[in-house]
Amino acid sequence: MSGGAELFALIVDQDTATGLLLTGVGQVDIRKRANFLIVDDKTSQQQVEEAFKDFTTREDIAVLLINQVIAGMIRHLLDAYTKPVPAILEIPSKDAPYDPSQDSVLQRVCFMFGES
Amino acid sequence: MSFGEDTSEMCLFNVKDGFLEAVVRGYKLGLLTTSDYNNLCQCETLEDIKLYLTGTDYGPFLANEPSPMHTTTLVDCCTRKLVADWRYLRENAGEPMGRFLDYCTYGHMIDNVVLIVTGTLHERDVQELLEKCNPLGMFDAIASLAVAQNMRDLYRLVLVDTPLAPYFSDNLTSEDLDEMNIEVMRNTLYKAYLDDFASFVHRVGGTTGEIMSELLSFEADRRALNITLNSIGSELTRDDRRKLYANFGLLYPHGQAELAVAEDFDQIRSAMEKCPPYQAIFSRLGLGETQMLDKIMYEEEVRQLVNTFEQQFHYGVFYAYMRLREQEIRNVMWIAECVAQDQKARVQDGIVFTF
Amino acid sequence: MKARLAGATKGHSLLKKKADALNMRFRQILRKIVETKEEMGRVMKASFFSLAQAKYATGDFKHTVFDSIDQASLKVKASTDNVAGVRLPKFEAQREAGGAADSKIGLIGLGTGGKQIQECRKSFVTAVDLLVELASLQTAFLTLDEAIKTTNRRVNALEHVVKPRLENTIAYIKGELDELEREEFFRLKKVQGNKKKHTEAAEALEAAQRAKGGGAVGNGARENKAANVLAAEQDADIIF
Repeated sequence: MSGGAELFALIVDQDTATGLLLTGVGQVDIRKRANFLIVDDKTSQQQVEEAFKDFTTREDIAVLLINQVIAGMIRHLLDAYTKPVPAILEIPSKDAPYDPSQDSVLQRVCFMFGES
Repeated sequence: MSFGEDTSEMCLFNVKDGFLEAVVRGYKLGLLTTSDYNNLCQCETLEDIKLYLTGTDYGPFLANEPSPMHTTTLVDCCTRKLVADWRYLRENAGEPMGRFLDYCTYGHMIDNVVLIVTGTLHERDVQELLEKCNPLGMFDAIASLAVAQNMRDLYRLVLVDTPLAPYFSDNLTSEDLDEMNIEVMRNTLYKAYLDDFASFVHRVGGTTGEIMSELLSFEADRRALNITLNSIGSELTRDDRRKLYANFGLLYPHGQAELAVAEDFDQIRSAMEKCPPYQAIFSRLGLGETQMLDKIMYEEEVRQLVNTFEQQFHYGVFYAYMRLREQEIRNVMWIAECVAQDQKARVQDGIVFTF
Repeated sequence: MKARLAGATKGHSLLKKKADALNMRFRQILRKIVETKEEMGRVMKASFFSLAQAKYATGDFKHTVFDSIDQASLKVKASTDNVAGVRLPKFEAQREAGGAADSKIGLIGLGTGGKQIQECRKSFVTAVDLLVELASLQTAFLTLDEAIKTTNRRVNALEHVVKPRLENTIAYIKGELDELEREEFFRLKKVQGNKKKHTEAAEALEAAQRAKGGGAVGNGARENKAANVLAAEQDADIIF
């Protein structure tokens, strides 16, 4: 894996973004390229998909945080995604508490548990 | 104040402003009461809250909101109600009440200007920024703020025409505009605004002057306290801190001097306790307990605001109405957040009962 | 051949051990993932609540936050961890103090409620730490999953394909060799039998001659035979 992978990336709603950006994970580089996408009512699914593809192919991103609700919008991309880096984490959002049964990875985990 | 002056005020007030005072007192009756809050606290979902609020003055603003509800939409609707009320008051106001009402909104205007300015510097979409502005602080030229590419242009082209211009020109040099931390700038402007507002109410005089200077002193002191509290441990120097305090208030000037050098909460406390009204407030706080301070200050403010309604023939009621509504919106937001996040045990922590 | 079989068996047992080690780690990680995910749910909830508190005290400050972003001060440091020869990526949160963004955020809400914002920030920092931990677990999970699959494939390949094939070959060669040995043995037996018959025939002939022509001729024939045992048959040919 590359040594340059050290940023977070966020695809989250406004409240989650506020909280997470407070911690200083946000980065906007010289070309105004941000490492986060703030999703609101006006954000289309296509935008989310593009951001997802962009973040997962960028060299400098190690962890991608995505709200579970938004992950639900692009579930097909998430299910097809198998690379270990960047790691994709589904996080709860303010209005929707965490639901383990929807998490792509956790589903696999449970599957393994059931199997083994 | 002589008897004659008092009587003439009583006689003449109603000629111009009596109608609006009646209106605002009517609005005041629409504020949520303790029993309303108690009922709201019982709500299980945001839909319940919406349903309940539909039965109050917020009804027309909430009725057409589609499900599912979010806290933000709820708050937006409540804000719309306040804005509508305020517009009505402003449109029907004569002078000098019109100016007084304008003064009340300058605070929001400062926030909006700061929002647009920072947004522009980060090349955000103007339209998007405008939507996010507080509607109470809108002014005609606000959209053109975004035209400016740097701070100097901004001042030269746009801000000159706004009511905020003197605050900018008196307190900030053009170098400041380029380099200053945006939060420091905001607070510098706010300080200038408070000073200006205070001298304005002083000019208006009469009961208005009396009541408003009391309210504004409290506001100024609270800001001084907050700034001190929040700047402990930050890179803000003592001198900078001192510059952000308003030039009046119960703490001015000795209390402020003490606050300016305070390094921890206990020092702040001892500075504040030298002032009798605040001693009472701080005595309600346990040692080392800072969390509750915000709420206690809000409660104190609400108490003072409600008291303004005890007197007649002054403009303070309008200011009070605005602040009370804002507090109410905060309360509603708090309840909604608690309900949405399933933290109902904490509901009581955030509500400041008005009546 | 035998050496190859031994190699395969050894490799098989080693891989099996590796698979077991990986599996063990895998189970650990699985359990931890489930735990951490639940924990995350809780921590995030608390964080959102503190965000609500901050909002209550300050009003809406999100745009100020969005606009004060510059360089990331909280980053992830990636390193690798070695489990039975599998390199697992591992993340660690790394804080660069004193950045420009840090001080900007530090002053948000100076006038009102900055305290709450800082509380909220702290709470989210814990959340982020947890998320980073979860991220390492999750990547470890995916990598291990992959590694276990390949290892298992290898184990199975060795056990069910390579080893049987080698064993078959060895069995075949063994069979073939046995066959050869048996044939040789049979041939030797046959040769011995023939030799015996001839010797007997020659002795009988000699005895008859001796009986007919006296001792001198008989002696000469016996000497001839002793000189060349292998040529016994030829001798017989010559004689007959």
